[in-house]
Amino acid sequence: MKESLATRLALLAPAQGMVLAVLLVPALYLVWLSFQTSSFGLAPRFVGWENYARILADGYFWRALGNTALIVLVVVHVELLLGLGMALLFASGLPMQRLLLACVLAPYAVSEVAAVVMWRYLFDPEVGHVTYALQALGLPTLDWAVSPAHGLTMVALLSVWLHLPFTFIILYAARLAVPMELYEAARIDGASPWQVFRRVTLPLLVPALLIAALFRLIFAFRLFSEVWLLTSGGPARSTEVVAVYLYLEAFRYNSFGAAAATGWLMVLGSLLLAAPYLWRLGKAQKADA
Amino acid sequence: MRSGRLFIRLGKAVAVALILLWSLAPIALILSSSIKPEREIFAFPPSITFTPTFVHYEALWERWPDFFHALVNSLIVTVLATVLAVAASLCSGYAYSRFRGHWIDSSALFLIAVRLIPPIVCTLPLFPVANALGLQDTHAWLAALYATFFVSLGTFVMRAFIDQIPKELDEAAAVDGAGRLRTLFRVVAPLAAQGMLAVAVFVIVYAWNEFLFAFIFTSTRARTAPLVLAEIVGNFDGVEWGVLFAAASVQLAPVLLFVWVMQKHLVAGLTAGATKG
Repeated sequence: MKESLATRLALLAPAQGMVLAVLLVPALYLVWLSFQTSSFGLAPRFVGWENYARILADGYFWRALGNTALIVLVVVHVELLLGLGMALLFASGLPMQRLLLACVLAPYAVSEVAAVVMWRYLFDPEVGHVTYALQALGLPTLDWAVSPAHGLTMVALLSVWLHLPFTFIILYAARLAVPMELYEAARIDGASPWQVFRRVTLPLLVPALLIAALFRLIFAFRLFSEVWLLTSGGPARSTEVVAVYLYLEAFRYNSFGAAAATGWLMVLGSLLLAAPYLWRLGKAQKADA
Repeated sequence: MRSGRLFIRLGKAVAVALILLWSLAPIALILSSSIKPEREIFAFPPSITFTPTFVHYEALWERWPDFFHALVNSLIVTVLATVLAVAASLCSGYAYSRFRGHWIDSSALFLIAVRLIPPIVCTLPLFPVANALGLQDTHAWLAALYATFFVSLGTFVMRAFIDQIPKELDEAAAVDGAGRLRTLFRVVAPLAAQGMLAVAVFVIVYAWNEFLFAFIFTSTRARTAPLVLAEIVGNFDGVEWGVLFAAASVQLAPVLLFVWVMQKHLVAGLTAGATKG
């Protein structure tokens, strides 16, 4: 079937046009903006690397970056471990599988705001059910509004809760795609359950694990709403993450240049975090071919 | 050997119970507490037998009329975003399924690569643009943003589904004299309905729940439900949990039901998008 260039363009234009206009052009404009001093109503002036230098000398930026890296690494790896465990549990055969799957997927439907309402209530120092339970067990409670470490713990808990369904589904689908014959062969060879996991399941799940990790690393790095709605970065800017830092620079302190530079550092940061996984994925795919 | 098997079954039961507690307890607590009388809300362990009451919903209606207006806004934005994202994904997914070539492949890679740009990064340059074009605080603008952020995933989900449809059908349609676009809408689209549903589920859940863009780009006219819910949280006095739970329940319940009804399509879409994209 022959077609004109016009048909091809017409079919690709909507998607490519949207992505160009909303993502690429603004991102490129941001490069230019990051070398200017710019604020609302003021003419931009070229300042070279000054914005970058200022941010890199700002203690709050480094704290925000540290918080982000810590949360992202903890959240993504906890999700992968739990998701893998759940995928194996589901694949081993459970009664009422469909119903259980629906229950596990439920947090996927919950908005960040509604999740913040839930978890704020559960961990409320005065009336929270988890606070009661922790006290009854003689365990320390979470003072998330006062202590930065506890605030970040809450954010991490919330993120894992919201995104575990996604990680789980990817791993579960990959586990179901492993051919049954491999397990039968392993059983005939007398492999122990641990050997089956180590030699059959895990190697075959590596690509799915990498993809899930990659998706989640890149998305978790953008973390904004959970932090904003829970602590707003406080107390005293101690629980800020990079996206919150960028937002404050732009929309509270009106320094668009600095915010633009933060934006590019953010893109770079998420690429660096994702790089080892991308590299492994590339290797895995080459091994496949 | 028998006791060993019993032990495994017990372990599995405990694991399932923990997973259910983790996934459902926070949601169940919000939904049930929204219809509990004030004093029952704080009972620990949570009470299961109580006389349901709608006082919190009435209070919400009286004190936060904005919230219900915002629900309508959320609905409008969600519908617009879904139509736009599904239509664009169908077209480009079809193109990537049927056409080959250097430019086609690179533009597919480009669709994936731009997704590395975080949403908050493009809010900065778009903010003055939206202001200048009078798009600030409009439903259409918010819908266009939401659709854009799902058009890449949508494209690859659609391609995965359209790849399953034999090319011979296109060729037969061409022999009958149908053009490409006619073939796409009359022959391919009905057969790819499953994929379109999967894309729609993603966009609907995202658009209904999204916070950041709505926070930056809307103020009054197009303000969505998550924003008003956040405002209710912000004005929270530490006492009236009932109203908060009622608002969270109203925001949450429709999309939760929707996800349960569409579970099959959601799972199919996630696996197609992540593994083949």
